[in-house]
Amino acid sequence: MPDHNDLFSKVLLEEQLRSNRITRKELLRRAFAGAVIIGTSGVLGACGGDGSNDPEGQSQGGAQKQKRGGTLRLGTAGGSSSDTVDAHTPVTHPDQARVVQLNDSLARYDEKFEFELSLAEEFAAEKADVWTIRLLEGLEFHNGKTVTADDVIFSLQRIIDPDVPAFGAGGLTSLDPNGMKKLDERTVRLTLKQPDVTIREELAQYFNGIVPVDYNPKKPVGVGPFMFESFTPGQESRFVRNPNYWREGEPYADEIVIIDFPEASARVNALLGGQVDAIDDVPFGQVPVIEGNANLNILEAPSGGWLPFTMRIDAAPFDDVRVRQAMRLLVNRQQMVDQALAGHGTVANDLYSPFDSCYASDLPQREQDIDQAKSLLRQAGQSDLTVELQTADVAAGLLEAAQVIAEQAKAAGVTINVKKLDSGTFYGDNYLKWTFAQDFWGSRPYFQQVAAGSLPDSAYNETHWPPDNTYLNLIAEAKRTVDENKRCELLHQAQELEYNEGGHIIWGFFNHVDAHSAKVTGLVPDRGTLPLNQYGFSHVSFVE
Amino acid sequence: MRQPAIESSDDRPVKTRWVPHGITWFILRRVLLGIATLFIISLIVFGATQALPGDAARAILGREATPQKLAAVRKQLNLNRPVTDQYREWLGGIVTGDFGRSLANQLPVSSFLGNRIVNSGFLVLLSAVISIPLSLLIGSLGALWRDRPFDTVTSIINLALAALPEFVIGVGLILLFATSVFQFLPAVSLISPDTPVWEELEFIVLPALTLILAVTPYISRIMRGSMIEVLESDYVEMARLKGLRERLVISRHALPNGIIPAIQVTALQLAYLAGGVVVIEFVFTFPGIGQALVDAVAKRDLPIIQSLSMLIAGVYVVLNLLADVATILISPRLRTSLR
Repeated sequence: MPDHNDLFSKVLLEEQLRSNRITRKELLRRAFAGAVIIGTSGVLGACGGDGSNDPEGQSQGGAQKQKRGGTLRLGTAGGSSSDTVDAHTPVTHPDQARVVQLNDSLARYDEKFEFELSLAEEFAAEKADVWTIRLLEGLEFHNGKTVTADDVIFSLQRIIDPDVPAFGAGGLTSLDPNGMKKLDERTVRLTLKQPDVTIREELAQYFNGIVPVDYNPKKPVGVGPFMFESFTPGQESRFVRNPNYWREGEPYADEIVIIDFPEASARVNALLGGQVDAIDDVPFGQVPVIEGNANLNILEAPSGGWLPFTMRIDAAPFDDVRVRQAMRLLVNRQQMVDQALAGHGTVANDLYSPFDSCYASDLPQREQDIDQAKSLLRQAGQSDLTVELQTADVAAGLLEAAQVIAEQAKAAGVTINVKKLDSGTFYGDNYLKWTFAQDFWGSRPYFQQVAAGSLPDSAYNETHWPPDNTYLNLIAEAKRTVDENKRCELLHQAQELEYNEGGHIIWGFFNHVDAHSAKVTGLVPDRGTLPLNQYGFSHVSFVE
Repeated sequence: MRQPAIESSDDRPVKTRWVPHGITWFILRRVLLGIATLFIISLIVFGATQALPGDAARAILGREATPQKLAAVRKQLNLNRPVTDQYREWLGGIVTGDFGRSLANQLPVSSFLGNRIVNSGFLVLLSAVISIPLSLLIGSLGALWRDRPFDTVTSIINLALAALPEFVIGVGLILLFATSVFQFLPAVSLISPDTPVWEELEFIVLPALTLILAVTPYISRIMRGSMIEVLESDYVEMARLKGLRERLVISRHALPNGIIPAIQVTALQLAYLAGGVVVIEFVFTFPGIGQALVDAVAKRDLPIIQSLSMLIAGVYVVLNLLADVATILISPRLRTSLR
């Protein structure tokens, strides 16, 4: 899909223009941020693509005026008594939404999933293992304390604390706790354990925010657009406007309330009844109900999120590469998207990270080929293959996908017995050891995804990839390679290996399907991991 | 078949002196039995929780449950001790009034559950205060006006409601009053954690209405049935033949006897409310103990599970006791048989 990115940009821009959700200031800000990236970095220089905002966007006839003030009420999927406000350990959607209100990271991903600097005005490599971070001037925490190099060092060390590793720790293995040097009040030099060109992308994650040295997760203080007010686990949390927010003119709303909704239809009902202003994860079946309501809008955004089937490449029957190839060939991907996602998604090609600048978009789209699948199974001596698929109701579309693949497999003479487990058992002792199971992932750049799930020391390597060192060497070399073209060449070879022999069946990327009241303006479709425009509400407001 | 207490009426003065003693002894014995029941329940619940796959650390981490993080969280939550130690510690705490801390969020159980207990308690109480008199009235009138239009209509409605699971009733009410047809009541009960629930009454209307509609049919059906039986009994006929006015016959002879089975059913229904409120709270996202319990089971949050099951079991025990005491006090024959 070589045109995928361009197409997305166009759709996105069209959407923004139609609703005039993008303000002139926002445009200038984005353009400026883009300039900073190109100016300070040789590493990511070519990543900008053609996604830059068209100046046409400034011509806003009859713009929806953004009003200041008001309380934005956000209904989020899930949440429970184990909710947290800790900046570095969000688990559920409400946790993630809270983290985004309270904290900012050194860099971030914009709605097109492109990297841009945020709290750092410079983040550049001298060599691939020596990086310099310089903070913007005059940044303040919610309590008025100036953000300094000490806070950056403290935050990074807190994330990789070996006793209580935070979520970001897995991707930051190259970070050396002793290799962080304060050069002046605003500047830190990181000397890494090994060369790593992905460190900036890792530190752009929302869960790697900057917190002060005296950080207390019970009364969290950050640099984000909203300040902590109250928090009741499993119920709701409140945040008030940060008057000293560093992004000029933001945030618009006076207050944000984040409300837990473990039950999907209660979430939709709350929106229908006007009790909340926006919700995430609209159940596909309820989309028409919201579309039919003139006071509500659906916010649908293609994302790089995927719901793979995971085959263990070191366990029978999938230790035979022909069986894995056959399994990938018996899937009708479009049917999968249509049925498991009710059409709210795009077809995938057994490769993840479609928005990565090195994505191997030239590999031919894999189509269903029952004859080929049968012949591969015959060669492998598995003509009447029977496998058990372990699954659990832990993400929308998983169970549906399991049913669909079981049905499709019959055509190739393969019997798939779907075992639905409760989540406690699914994530129990056999977690990451199931022979054939399912998982869910959000949008990630290629390197981050590899670090999280495709290396021997990855935390979530369900397929037990790779089979040998060829892949590892390619990744290691790419991580050292500062030149973008050379790096992409290496990563292309790596992706080819996964495309031909990998243990994932990646049949599609799901769309974020969220909804909001027509009285709310500023939300734009976002490719990122998190729903609802990455929960970024600083540029969101009520209409005049 | 019930015999009026005619033969014992001659030595009544002696018996009344014994009544308080009999009742006191009866209550005392039942309270002790209740405590024993609670103890056994705590053992069963503890055992059942242990038998569930996974532990609190796994449940809290979910997908993030990598060996390294599991070890860190288990250490943090003190889950590495033998289960018998954990149980003994919990029991020791209960005796001294310390319910421990939630494993999921480290808050003291009392402060995490306090608000929710008040919310659920108020919801159940409000539903009970409305539904009990209402259903007794409907039942009695149905019996008095047997097979007349009022009886036919209420019977049909009662049977229809009794046949519907309460979440269907709840969803129906939401569609009717909050989202699809009218929109004047909130669809979900977003009670703020800082405000007492009685200050935000609009949030309690639909859940309470659902519970009332779920409970009323049972009690009024029982009341109707037992009243019909009583109205056809010999002693009511006798009272009528004596020439007593119908109002007196009903208020003095029929009602006190007809209400006895209804008291037992009411107690069971109330106890059911305390536990069955779970489903209703889920439908309305009502911040009460039901939601907390579902959540706690999912999170294997032992202190919360234990505290809530003790609370709900305690409500059962107390309500049954109250119902029995009320039955004894109302029916002369039972009253006098206690020594």
